[in-house]
Amino acid sequence: MKLIRSDIYENLKMALATLRANKLRSFLTVFGVMIGVITVMLISSIISGVDTAVKKELESYGTNSIFISKYNPGIHIGRLSREERMRKDLTYDDAVALTQLPAVELSVPFLDIGNNFFGQKILVSSPGKTSAAVALQGTLPDFERAGTQIVKEGRFFTQYENDNNEEVAVVGSSVGQDFFPYGSPVGQEMGIGGRQFRVVGVLEKREQFLLGGGDDDQNNIIYVPFNVARKLKPGSNDVYVQAVARKGMMDEALDQITDLLRVRRQVPFGKPDNFGLQTAELFLSNFRSILSGVAIAMVVISSVGLMVGGIGVMNIMLVSVTERTREIGVRKAIGARRSDIMWQFLIEAATLTGFGGLVGLSIGWLLTFLLRLLLPSYVPLWAPIGGFVASVGIGLIFGLWPAWKAARLDPIESLRYE
Amino acid sequence: MSDVTLAAPPTPSALPEQPVSAHDANSLISMRDIWKTYEMGSEQVHALHGVSFDIPKGEYIAIIGPSGSGKSTLMNLIGCLDTPSKGEYWLNAKNVSLMDDDELARIRNQEVGFVFQTFNLLARATALHNVELPLIYGGIGSSQRHEMAKEALRAVDLSDRITHRPNELSGGQRQRVAIARALVNHPSILLADEPTGALDTHTSMEIMDLFERLHGEGNTIIVVTHEHDIAERAHRVISIRDGLIEKDEKIR
Ligand SMILES: Nc1ncnc2c1ncn2[C@@H]1O[C@H](COP(=O)(O)OP(=O)(O)O)[C@@H](O)[C@H]1O
Ligand SMILES: [Mg+2]
Repeated sequence: MKLIRSDIYENLKMALATLRANKLRSFLTVFGVMIGVITVMLISSIISGVDTAVKKELESYGTNSIFISKYNPGIHIGRLSREERMRKDLTYDDAVALTQLPAVELSVPFLDIGNNFFGQKILVSSPGKTSAAVALQGTLPDFERAGTQIVKEGRFFTQYENDNNEEVAVVGSSVGQDFFPYGSPVGQEMGIGGRQFRVVGVLEKREQFLLGGGDDDQNNIIYVPFNVARKLKPGSNDVYVQAVARKGMMDEALDQITDLLRVRRQVPFGKPDNFGLQTAELFLSNFRSILSGVAIAMVVISSVGLMVGGIGVMNIMLVSVTERTREIGVRKAIGARRSDIMWQFLIEAATLTGFGGLVGLSIGWLLTFLLRLLLPSYVPLWAPIGGFVASVGIGLIFGLWPAWKAARLDPIESLRYE
Repeated sequence: MSDVTLAAPPTPSALPEQPVSAHDANSLISMRDIWKTYEMGSEQVHALHGVSFDIPKGEYIAIIGPSGSGKSTLMNLIGCLDTPSKGEYWLNAKNVSLMDDDELARIRNQEVGFVFQTFNLLARATALHNVELPLIYGGIGSSQRHEMAKEALRAVDLSDRITHRPNELSGGQRQRVAIARALVNHPSILLADEPTGALDTHTSMEIMDLFERLHGEGNTIIVVTHEHDIAERAHRVISIRDGLIEKDEKIR
């Protein structure tokens, strides 16, 4: 004999009729489950979307890259501590010293010269355009080998050009388009901070994963030789370093860099580092620990929603059992077993919450479309499946007691019930 | 029905203590010294005290008695909705008194067809669906179920009403749907408790005509009533009073 000898179609119809008959309670039931499912849909899509974007973004800097700054690694919230602000700058020499380490493939310094010595934006101009909104960085030609930026046209500047203070520039793809819309920028002249530069190369467009359509730093950038950058902003010491570990030697590279920098920056034995190393992997794991906080919030909100739905469905089913006592008596008289009655009410309860779940899925799905306009996001497959299973499961769990009450009713007394 | 050997009607068990004979293996129903006692606080109410009788297959029996005499209690026992406090009940040579809940449900589904005074149809379901219900619990697949239910509705002349809901049917039609539902599983007995109690005289007679026809087609029918003209349509009348059989006579 089949386990469920119940008429599913009939039970579904009954459930919908019950839903219509008890509008307020049905609304509460459906509403709670809906909120739970919408929460799962939205937050899971945010989490997986942002996570994927961040991962791609970080990987595009190279998984072997190590970013070194004078600040502690990690995601900063609030102001830096006084000690951190007082730290001395990294230097060009630090970057050069790191290249000697056995586990380090290459190491280049960067000098950020967005602002000049007086805190004013440095102006960039071509014959047709002038703008201050371009990122300017000084670096060394070795940077090309890190693979973070790829030259599409022309070439990167050379060590010779750096050493001889030649005013040459490699421009990002948006800079190329914005300043030289009618032809190749390579070989053209450009004004930077009042000096004439020659464009020697154009970079390939870097994809942006995290904030598509936002301001486009990664391509709106000009690289100039490190020494030249220092001339544009005399006295600037705001240096950070990108090192690349040799293949498979990430951990060794991190240890060697730490040891060397501790010596060079005279950190006393037993004291914490006064600099920070960041890798894609480290950043990602930091970032993920923040995401897991969001995930916990999701679990809490959706459980509260599902609980409200569960209590609603229990209430509605208890009423339904009382109202249909006579029907239960009739069903038993014509041969329904206890388990048949039990299943009937369980299916009915699950239909109610499952209906709420489906409504929640549809609304959540629409909302994730809107969300996609703001954030990189996609709905992971487990979210709608999990949401629906949870809503049906809530019906089954909270329907258990009412269904058991119904199954236990005495057929004779039920038949006599008015 | 002449092949059934009719034993002399059992003597009314005026003295419940007297030894009772073993059950009759040839009978469809064989009740031996059946007691039904309800506990009402500290008090005991004996709804039945020591009832014994046999019903062979194919009989048409009326159980008559005044209100409170124990008719419904007896009917619930025959229909396996309830089990006796004491005594043995054999149905189709199976001892019902020993059965558990699921076995009783199976008996109600397969062996018994109930007809109630107030029809007890599912209000939201069509006539066809109401008739299909016992087949659902019998585990019969949907296409076969449809055919059997249509056949049962045809047998009560309601082929043209199968998609109607109870509130679109007259009282007599509703009771015929209920009878079709009772018959659809081809049960051993059709049990009707005051089946005409909610109907006017004319419709009552139509329903009784239907019972007569169903009996003619070989069905075993037990009608519980307190009305003599309904009881007189049966072939055998068992009168009960205060939980005891007062009279058990063949009238046809
Ligand atoms: N569940 C019950 N609890 C207590 N007493 C009951 C119960 N059911 C029936 N009785 C008593 O048993 C007697 C027979 O009842 P019933 O079989 O319903 O009579 P009838 O159907 O002939 O009117 C009555 O005295 C009634 O009060
Ligand atoms: Mg009665």
